[in-house]
Amino acid sequence: MKSQALQELVKEIFGDEGIKTQFMANPDVILSKFALTEMEKRAVLTTHTKLGLMTSNSGQLQMKDDPYIWWD
Amino acid sequence: MLQSKLDRLIREEIEALLAPLADAASLHDLAEESLANALQDSVILHADCRAWFLLPLIVYNILCGECELALPAIAGLELLKVAAEVLDDIEDADSAKSLPSKYGVPLALNTASTLIILAEKAFTLLKDNGVSDAVVVSLINTVNSYYTTTCMGQHLDLSLTPDAIASEDTYLRVIAMKSASVVECACYTGALLAGANQELINSFAIFGHNLGMASQIANDIKAVINLKDIKNRKITLPAIFALARTEGKTHRLMDEMFCKRSLGFDFAPDQIRDLLFSTGAMQYAAIKREIYNQEAKDILMRMKTEGIKVEQLQQFLN
Repeated sequence: MKSQALQELVKEIFGDEGIKTQFMANPDVILSKFALTEMEKRAVLTTHTKLGLMTSNSGQLQMKDDPYIWWD
Repeated sequence: MLQSKLDRLIREEIEALLAPLADAASLHDLAEESLANALQDSVILHADCRAWFLLPLIVYNILCGECELALPAIAGLELLKVAAEVLDDIEDADSAKSLPSKYGVPLALNTASTLIILAEKAFTLLKDNGVSDAVVVSLINTVNSYYTTTCMGQHLDLSLTPDAIASEDTYLRVIAMKSASVVECACYTGALLAGANQELINSFAIFGHNLGMASQIANDIKAVINLKDIKNRKITLPAIFALARTEGKTHRLMDEMFCKRSLGFDFAPDQIRDLLFSTGAMQYAAIKREIYNQEAKDILMRMKTEGIKVEQLQQFLN
């Protein structure tokens, strides 16, 4: 299901330098300002930890994950 | 070691199913070629490779501790999956290495038809392994239901206009039907054959659904990174985010690129990709993928607390 709050969070982080800086320093503070579900918060923090949300590049995002079925 | 053994058993089962095609040697060769592409990733060749091919058998093995009885069903599922891939290659017509590109649509279509028929035959062979008629019928019903859903998802993907598909809810619905249903089917049938109760079957199915969703989103991320979906101007989750959450010049560019698809629109694919990164679109897709990954992990943890040894399934998760 689409999450308005999650979309808004990502938009703000990537669109506002101040929020980006605050997120890098203390993600939990920024997350608490958006109406995210617990699962969404977990996913943001896990993705940030694994890939570095702000700095993730092609190589990091292209995780070793061959799809079960190659639907193009 | 177990997965090497399972892989060998599945290959032998499939080879036996293909044996009657020897009278039409080139049809046999086409069937083998289409399966070879799928089978080559069936064994863990190196640490990075997951045994997708063996997913239903792994579920069965978790619950039963053995695997031989279920082999015909697993072979049948693989034949169906490969047939679907061949048909998808015909419908998309965007891969130079595909069967239709190399041999033409008529031969590819006939090969896919043959694989579907052999899959049905494979399911009936379960009787020879002592599986009851009721379970065989239930399995065939289940598989047919799931693959009908897959076809509906593919139909939506092929027929929706760019404006219609540029909605996250629609995108998630389409990939749930088209892709996740195949993985869900694999897990459901493995548990069904193992004689699990409906609650446990449903747990494995939910795991499969979330795994399938995560995998398709990962596939779509990859297709943007390698520029394939950008060159084809295909709308997937990163593009959907960019269309919904960018403004001004960037939004106009994305709209021209993915929705209007103007023929005269000149674009540099790597610049579009860079924009998708800089606006957070790619990262948003990675987060969504992680949500489904976490849901799948949570299901496994719940089953583990109930005494189900699910460790073999953890390899499919990041």
